[in-house]
Formats: sequence, structure tokens, C-alpha cells
Amino acid sequence: MSQERETQLLVALQDLEQMIREAEDKRNREALEKMGFPVTGVEELRKAQKKLEDKIAPQVLGRYRKLTTRSGRAVVPVVDGTCTGCFTNVPAIFTSSVNAGKVIYCETCGRVLFWP
Amino acid sequence: MTIDELIRHVQPSSSVLALQARDKQTVLTEITDALVERGHVKDRDVVLQMLRNREQLGSTAVGAGVAFPHGRSLAVQKLTILVARSAQGVDFGGLDGKPTRLFFVLMAPPQDSGNLYLQALGKLTELVARDDVRRALLQTADLDALVGILRGAGK
Repeated sequence: MSQERETQLLVALQDLEQMIREAEDKRNREALEKMGFPVTGVEELRKAQKKLEDKIAPQVLGRYRKLTTRSGRAVVPVVDGTCTGCFTNVPAIFTSSVNAGKVIYCETCGRVLFWP
Repeated sequence: MTIDELIRHVQPSSSVLALQARDKQTVLTEITDALVERGHVKDRDVVLQMLRNREQLGSTAVGAGVAFPHGRSLAVQKLTILVARSAQGVDFGGLDGKPTRLFFVLMAPPQDSGNLYLQALGKLTELVARDDVRRALLQTADLDALVGILRGAGK
């Protein structure tokens, strides 16, 4: 694994929740169906979402939920040393913390940082 | 989206013209591994999980031997398109029951200005719906020729 497991789980959860939102969005669903892709498995995705949530520590999941409510996106990528949630520089030392297996939160906006 | 814009996002170094996989899950693994090995994505597990989840939503095989595994992930930094082929074909869950031999994998970051990802998907599905294009794509020997076929069909 390239990054700490819990951060990976949060990224996977955020990806999955976006997939569910897009599948439930009428315009998006119709566009996919028009291209020949049936969109029938939202319930399956909900089950996958629950399984994923169960793997994440409650306090981490709780913080993720609050961040999602507040900021829309709880996990953001770090690009060129910058948090793309608030566009402030991320201290280089954080990278070594990620490698040490910690979930890293931006010091300015509080979002979870992910190095893609 | 023009054909040239579309082709700019195709990753020749990650394309797999001779998939070894014999089933759907292994196809997704082989494709993801190719993207990781060539440095287009770093986080294998996240990308693989996204592609698997997408197949749970509904098969991305559209029939006639073609599938378009696709989705968005934070682990992807830009619109990335990979082409893969399987000589023997794989059961990918297409409604017509035919084995899938040609795969176009499209992945995009969550925030994708202009919704390039859906535009690219639409353009590719439109091109590959043509019998002559599909046949040529399956027969061609290398990726340069394959891209040339797409370019020619899209003009």
C-alpha cells in the first residue's frame, strides 16, 4: 500500500459516495444509459458503502462526515505541496508522517490530505 | 470533444494489447497494474476498488465485444484512457452474452472541469458502435495503428 490504510479507505469511501450521487442524478444517469450503460446497482453500492464504513474507526468516520457536511469534500489531494482544499502549503514533514501510517489533516482547513 | 482532444488522453505506455486475464476481476486487476507499473496512478487498491464498484453499478460491457470500464477517483490526477484487448475474450457481463475482447478504460479525477470524462466516454462509445471501426480495432497489430483507426473514424 502506498499510503496509510485508513486514508485509503476514506478515499475509497469518497469515490464510492460520488459514484452513488452521480448514479442517482437524473441527468447523469440518463447520459450513461443513452451510451448503453445500465445503471441498476445503486443498492449494491449502498451495501459496499456500509461495508467500507464498518472498516473505518468511528472517530475518523465521524470527522469525515463533519468535513463532508462542512466542505463538500473531506479528502483532497496534495498537488505540488499544496492542499487543494484551501490552497495553502503543506509542510514537507507531513509526507513522512503519511509514510509513518497516520491520517494527515490540513492544518488550515482541516481536510484529510491524500498524496495521489 | 474532438478526436484529437480525445486521443491526447490515451496512455500508449499503459495499454495492454494482449491481456492474459480470463475473467472480469482479473481483467480489472491487470489493467490497474498496467497503470501503476507505468506510473499513471500510484494507489492500486483505491483505483481497483473504484473500477470494481463501477461494475457493481452495472456492467460496462455494451455488447458486440466491447467494454468501457470507467469512473472517477481521487487517486487519478487527470483524465486517463487506456486501451486493452483480449484475444480469447472474457465474460464481462455484456447484455448480448458475447465475450468482450476490446476494452477502453477511462478514469478521471472527481473534479473534472468541463466534464471531459463523460464527453470522452460519449465520443468513444459513438466511434466503437460502428462495425467497421470495431473490426479494425480488433485486427490491428499495434497501438499506433489502433490510435490511427480511431483518429480516422473520428474525422
